[in-house]
Amino acid sequence: MSAVFEGYEKQYCELSANLSKKCSSAGLLDGEQKKQKISEIKSGLDTAEALIRKMDLEARGLQPNIKAVLLAKLREYKSDLNNLKSEVKQIASTNLDQAARDDLLEAGMADTLAVSANQRDRLLMSTERLNNSSNRIMESRKVMLETEELGVSLLHDLHQQRQSLLHANNTMHGVDDNISRSKKIISNISRRMDRNKWIIGAIITVLVIAIAVILYFKLSK
Amino acid sequence: MSDHIARGEDFEKKAEKKLSGWGLFGSKYEDAADLFDKAANSFKLAKSWDQAGAVYVKLANCHLKLDSKHEAANAFADAAHCYKKSNIKESISCLEQSVNLFLDIGRLNMSARYYKEIAELYEQEQNLEQAIVYYERAADLFQSEEVTTSANQCKQKVAQFAAQLEQYQKAIEIYEEIARQSLNNNLLKYGVKGHLLNAGICQLCKGDVVAISNALEKYQELDPTFSGTREYKLLRDLAAAVDEEDIAKFTDAVKEFDSMTQLDAWKTTLLLRVKEALKAKELEEDDLT
Repeated sequence: MSAVFEGYEKQYCELSANLSKKCSSAGLLDGEQKKQKISEIKSGLDTAEALIRKMDLEARGLQPNIKAVLLAKLREYKSDLNNLKSEVKQIASTNLDQAARDDLLEAGMADTLAVSANQRDRLLMSTERLNNSSNRIMESRKVMLETEELGVSLLHDLHQQRQSLLHANNTMHGVDDNISRSKKIISNISRRMDRNKWIIGAIITVLVIAIAVILYFKLSK
Repeated sequence: MSDHIARGEDFEKKAEKKLSGWGLFGSKYEDAADLFDKAANSFKLAKSWDQAGAVYVKLANCHLKLDSKHEAANAFADAAHCYKKSNIKESISCLEQSVNLFLDIGRLNMSARYYKEIAELYEQEQNLEQAIVYYERAADLFQSEEVTTSANQCKQKVAQFAAQLEQYQKAIEIYEEIARQSLNNNLLKYGVKGHLLNAGICQLCKGDVVAISNALEKYQELDPTFSGTREYKLLRDLAAAVDEEDIAKFTDAVKEFDSMTQLDAWKTTLLLRVKEALKAKELEEDDLT
């Protein structure tokens, strides 16, 4: 029985070594070849999985002590296989991105590939790039100057506002003084009003008393 | 809208009746003033500016009879604002009356502000000489009230128009004065090179080469950072071009400066004048030779 297991084991080891080699090489390739390699690896993974299942069955059918050892080995192989699977997934996902990028930049890549063959064209391109950058620098300088002018006018406005605020502050002090003066004047007025009221009251009382006295003398005559 | 006009006319008629009739305790002027105010308000809402202005003028006369010059001056100012939208001459006359009243009361600040408004109206009408006169009066009043920024603003406008009218010496003096004052102020010192540039352009327009080089040296003394600026470079190149009477050099220098910051209309006019003068001199020389 264990001979069958050992046979499976050997097959599995070969297969996993093969698969890991293919994985690393697939990582370096790209495009169509990568896809091919990945499908190969996937089929290899399937075979490895089948082998592991068979080994599992075999191991369970054996005696307990050997069974324990064999099961431990099997667990190792299983984790190995999982690692390989995740590796393949990684490569496949980057492959998708890479494939999309390649499709997008295919045209550009082709151009630069064609041009860089020609030295004169290369020089022209670099001069053009230099001109572009110097233009951009000039434009940014213009923008900076405009910003500076804007800043100057802002400072001017701030100065004006500062002056009006100071002026308003001074006027406020003046208003304050005027208000306290008017308060005094109004209290003066109210005092005088009270005084006048008392005086008039006194005069009225005096007149009333005078009329009463006269009437009294007139009537008592 | 017609509702407001009707209401306004209603108020106006009532006010007139009050004025012509006899009122109790002589309060007729105050009541009439009140009604005039309401009438003018309704006319303003109805956007009939002429009627509103006329009513404000009547209101001002009422206040004058009541001896409250302050109110009268305010009413004249309101009248002027209404007339601004339709009839500018009326507006200017109302503002003048208002300014005289404010001067009588002693509110120099308000009168200076209204002088400035009159000057702006003249500027709109392109009547530059009158505008200069009023800006100068406004600047003087602002100066006496120690409001230096508004005074400087008015003086700047004076210099601008003076240069346009070819009174270069005046413009140069004003710009140099403003530059000197701005140097001491932390906030304004970044604007100094603009003022010096304007002064330099006026010097160029005068056409006196010796004066130009003297002036450039003086400006460098005034402001040590000036010699590093593009404005100074421009002035120096232009002075050299005028000296050598080389029009191509002149145009090159101007184009270089313009490519960085756009030259405004005033500067363009003046520089064009300098260029024409150069061309004329060149033709003259060709004639002589």
